[in-house]
Amino acid sequence: MSEIPLPQAAKRVVPWWLLRHETMLAAILLVALIGLGGLNSRFLTLDNLLNQGRLTTEVGLIALPMTFIIVTGGIDLSVGSIVGLCAILLGYSWKIFGFPLPLAIGFSLLVGAAAGFLNGIVITKVKVPPLIMTIATLALYRGLAEGISQARSVRGYPEWFYFIGQENLFGVPAQLWLLLIAIVVSAIVLDRTTFGRTLYAIGNNETAARFSGLPVDRVKLIIYTLSGLMAGLSACVLVSRVTTTRSDMGIGYELDVIAAVVLGGTSIFGGVGTIWGTVVGLAMIQLLKNGLALTGVKGDATIIVIGAVLILSTLVASSLQRKREGI
Amino acid sequence: MMTDTQTEVPSAPLLSVHAIEKSFPGVRALSGVSFEAARGEVHALLGENGAGKSTLIKIISGVFPPDRGEVLVDGRQVDLARPDDARRAGIATIYQELLLFPELTVAENIFMGHAPRAGLGRIDWRAMREKTNALLASLEIHDLQAERVVGSLIVGNRQRVEILRALSQDARILIMDEPTAALTEYDVTRLFDIVRKLKARGVAVIYISHRLDEIFAIADRVTVLRDGAHVATKRVADTDAAELVQLMVGRRIESLFPKITVPIGKPVLEVKDLERRPLTKSASLSVRAGEIVGLAGLVGSGRSELAQTIFGVTPAEDGEIRIAGRQVDIRSPAQARSLGVAYVPEDRGTQGLVRPMTVRENFSLAALGKVAFGGFIDRGAERKLAGDGVKRFAVKTSSLEQIAGKLSGGNQQKIVLGKWLANGPKLLILDEPTRGIDVGAKAEIHRLMGELAAQGLAILMISSELPEVLGMSDRVLVMREGRIVAEFSREDATQESVGAAMMGSHAKAEKAA
Amino acid sequence: MTAVTLAGAEADPRRRLRALASQEALLAIAVIGLAIAVGLYNPRFLAARNLSDVLLGNAYIAVAAVGMSMVIVSGNIDISVGALIGVLATISGTLAVNGAPIVVAWLAALVAGVLVMALQGVIIAYLRIPAIVVTLGMLSILKGGLISVTGGKWITDLPDSFHLADIEIFGALPFPVFLMILVTILAALWMRYTASGRAIYAVGGNAEAARLCGISQPRTVVMVFALHGLFAGAAALLYATQLRVIQSTVPPNLELTIITASVVGGVSILGGVGTVVGSTLAAVLIAEIASALVFTDVSPYWIRAVQGVLILATVIADILRRRRMAGA
Repeated sequence: MSEIPLPQAAKRVVPWWLLRHETMLAAILLVALIGLGGLNSRFLTLDNLLNQGRLTTEVGLIALPMTFIIVTGGIDLSVGSIVGLCAILLGYSWKIFGFPLPLAIGFSLLVGAAAGFLNGIVITKVKVPPLIMTIATLALYRGLAEGISQARSVRGYPEWFYFIGQENLFGVPAQLWLLLIAIVVSAIVLDRTTFGRTLYAIGNNETAARFSGLPVDRVKLIIYTLSGLMAGLSACVLVSRVTTTRSDMGIGYELDVIAAVVLGGTSIFGGVGTIWGTVVGLAMIQLLKNGLALTGVKGDATIIVIGAVLILSTLVASSLQRKREGI
Repeated sequence: MMTDTQTEVPSAPLLSVHAIEKSFPGVRALSGVSFEAARGEVHALLGENGAGKSTLIKIISGVFPPDRGEVLVDGRQVDLARPDDARRAGIATIYQELLLFPELTVAENIFMGHAPRAGLGRIDWRAMREKTNALLASLEIHDLQAERVVGSLIVGNRQRVEILRALSQDARILIMDEPTAALTEYDVTRLFDIVRKLKARGVAVIYISHRLDEIFAIADRVTVLRDGAHVATKRVADTDAAELVQLMVGRRIESLFPKITVPIGKPVLEVKDLERRPLTKSASLSVRAGEIVGLAGLVGSGRSELAQTIFGVTPAEDGEIRIAGRQVDIRSPAQARSLGVAYVPEDRGTQGLVRPMTVRENFSLAALGKVAFGGFIDRGAERKLAGDGVKRFAVKTSSLEQIAGKLSGGNQQKIVLGKWLANGPKLLILDEPTRGIDVGAKAEIHRLMGELAAQGLAILMISSELPEVLGMSDRVLVMREGRIVAEFSREDATQESVGAAMMGSHAKAEKAA
Repeated sequence: MTAVTLAGAEADPRRRLRALASQEALLAIAVIGLAIAVGLYNPRFLAARNLSDVLLGNAYIAVAAVGMSMVIVSGNIDISVGALIGVLATISGTLAVNGAPIVVAWLAALVAGVLVMALQGVIIAYLRIPAIVVTLGMLSILKGGLISVTGGKWITDLPDSFHLADIEIFGALPFPVFLMILVTILAALWMRYTASGRAIYAVGGNAEAARLCGISQPRTVVMVFALHGLFAGAAALLYATQLRVIQSTVPPNLELTIITASVVGGVSILGGVGTVVGSTLAAVLIAEIASALVFTDVSPYWIRAVQGVLILATVIADILRRRRMAGA
């Protein structure tokens, strides 16, 4: 029997194109940072960067479970509506039902998780494709938000509530700490746990994953529930930051989230993707927005660029993947 | 047996396939296959899974071109670069996965792409309906209406729709791939009626099937393929089932299977009257520790389905399973795994391996719990597990981080086997463990099986290669039509006795003749 | 023709026609039934003025739903149509306000609609990017584009001749309603009696089988999207000419309403089945429900929730039906 070479030590070899994609993106990010900093003196100040971090949190919290979902080959379009629903219920349970605010926060998170759970249950048990289910719930949850709130808003939250959205903790925006913790936890889960490994297996070959005894349905149920929960958390942070609750909150979040995830190298077809990529993607998008704003482009117009980025990055990623598989 | 009704003596056979070669990366699917079919002939194509039948059919149907060789229709060579070319040459194929539009009607399915037109170029639904009725009448089909939605039809009728579609395009050569796999006996009889009518019209029918009794009932000649090569072409009247089985599965025994005598322990698996529609009727068997039980049977007898029911992929509807004496209700592979059952599936690529993932990741896939602590994967432990596996099974790979899909079939199979063994199972179910694997790797896997049995594992081996079954097994079970119909001890199992049991009463009748 | 049926294995012969008719019949019954029920509660609902307002104001949704139904039948989805309608309305209005001939203003909306949608069709069919990604991206490009270009300004001084809604066919039928009926009939005829119309069903029902029948899936998809763009353009014109102003933002949630109309109208979200007659009836029903909410003193803010429940229920029912059929 011929000698087998000993396994290589420590080097984490990743599919070549992904490695290229992430480093390419990080390189672009670095260049853009420097470029924008050169163009506009206000840009590279710590203040501004931290503020950008603060603004990224709401989308960022949702982008993490979305990465899990897209890695399995699914998608969740209802996240924006869940944000709206949770924001509304946060306000209403506190103001109208009279819950103490901490309880209202908990209730709002619970609703988010329940909304995600409903997505997950129908996707795994009734076997409605994720795209279709979450388009339907995108309508339903937004509808519930509008119906419950009657388009009225809620304000006047107690001062302590605004801490998470507006204040700094050790010099860094409070919500950014939340995001950082979430990033670290998600990255560890995706990269180093059996749960994460299962996600990749499902995305690459769901049948083989089942045949290997992996709890595919349970895992899917968890990630959709998590997506809803994070949307709820994001809603609380958002309300804390803007001090009011409105039923049109979260509209369009799904675009930012999915664009960040796809830009970061996660393949829309599943099986490939990392949290680090998503973080770089988030940074790029926030950077774009900030950069455009600083050069005078109005906020609303930045979604043009985000939309184009989404299509282009999917195009690039999919042709690279095809080339890789063709080898 | 009906004699061929040919109205003329053709100068050339209707279909002639000459020296076809086809390879895919890593695998030689067809090596120099030739055969021909005459007008009005039913020519059967026989061979085990992986023999090359479906590749040959796809070449004739224009799905992809051969590397070498020609296809001739009516003596003239045809260039079949696309399915359209085949259609124009008069070749129609009915695949196992019926390619129909479930939400559309029978008539529309038949005429999709070539619907009759009325004035202004609009589709003439009435003419479509009338032509469909004419086609139905010509084959004397009375229980199918043109306006039925295809999705509401049972399989037998759906197949008839496909046949009618072929006829509506004036097909002269009709290829039918496993047409009776999902049909009831009644449907099969009706199918044969249609085939005979087609014969009478001069249509050449290429009939692919494993069911020998059908081949003897309907075919004029039969060509046997094995491992991508042409083995023999015989007139059905000149041969019998036993000879065909021998041609199909018989191989030179290239290496002596090293059979170690191993102490046999208590039953690890006991299955009683297990039932799961549609293929597992009432199966009973047992496998003991240290024993290798070979499960033989013709393809379609339900062996893989039985294995998948025991493994929880398609849970049982009735019957009993006992693992190590304790009755269990296995509802999922995860549960089966936790009970110590391992299953190495027949379809490596789709069910066994996650091809885009690395060797290391595939090795640990079924045993993540063993390399993870509190849910966290210990990379070091995982590498050790994979490294040990690579060494133990002699997997030829450049590194643990090599993408599994790039390895050869034999090495891939070793990974699938290895990943299950990492779990320390009590019962190992192997489904065609050495199919599509080179000789060297085959021998290694057999050796491994012997070692595992010596370690006390109970092994249930499903195989279509009789020498392998006879060489490796302590006991041989034969499955036919969803039931275990025979059991042979190692001494009593021979190619003839096992082969006869696989075929059932027909073989006995043939032998008596 | 003797009908030898195997023991209960197959359904009634005319099942397809009956099934199809029942979806549309159900919708028609629902439309009438709801009108009666609400009318009993609040007779003002049945006033001719109200009913015609409901139809007039929502005809554009039915027109857009015709195109959307085709897209969904072909096995795709489009969530950019709402934004596109906003953009097309603005293009048309801007041209009109700046002195272009009215006909040019109208045609511009149609042509631009076809071009934008056809572009998406090409990216989806030939570059193989999933429809959801392409249309999600395009939605943002259009939405953002509209805001940047208009700068938030509404178009207010439209010439009188611009307003299609004022035209009355045969002196009695408002143009929007006329167009809705015309488009529905033409599209229905096209999808039933032409090969390219049937090709949509083939591609949506079983793309592989369609290919083997000689139907090109990429070409069919591009064609479907182009038509969808045409109808979106027509819908945009109706939308723009209802009010005297054209807003600077895209109508919110319009694409959801259009998708709901298609799905509730019997178009299966998995493709391959459905009719435009159904989607038009469903669009009418949805508009009617919105109005009914007002007249029954239920807050109109619940309309979205009602749509959500409708679409969810329809989708689940459809998936369950398909699973049952496949298991047969």
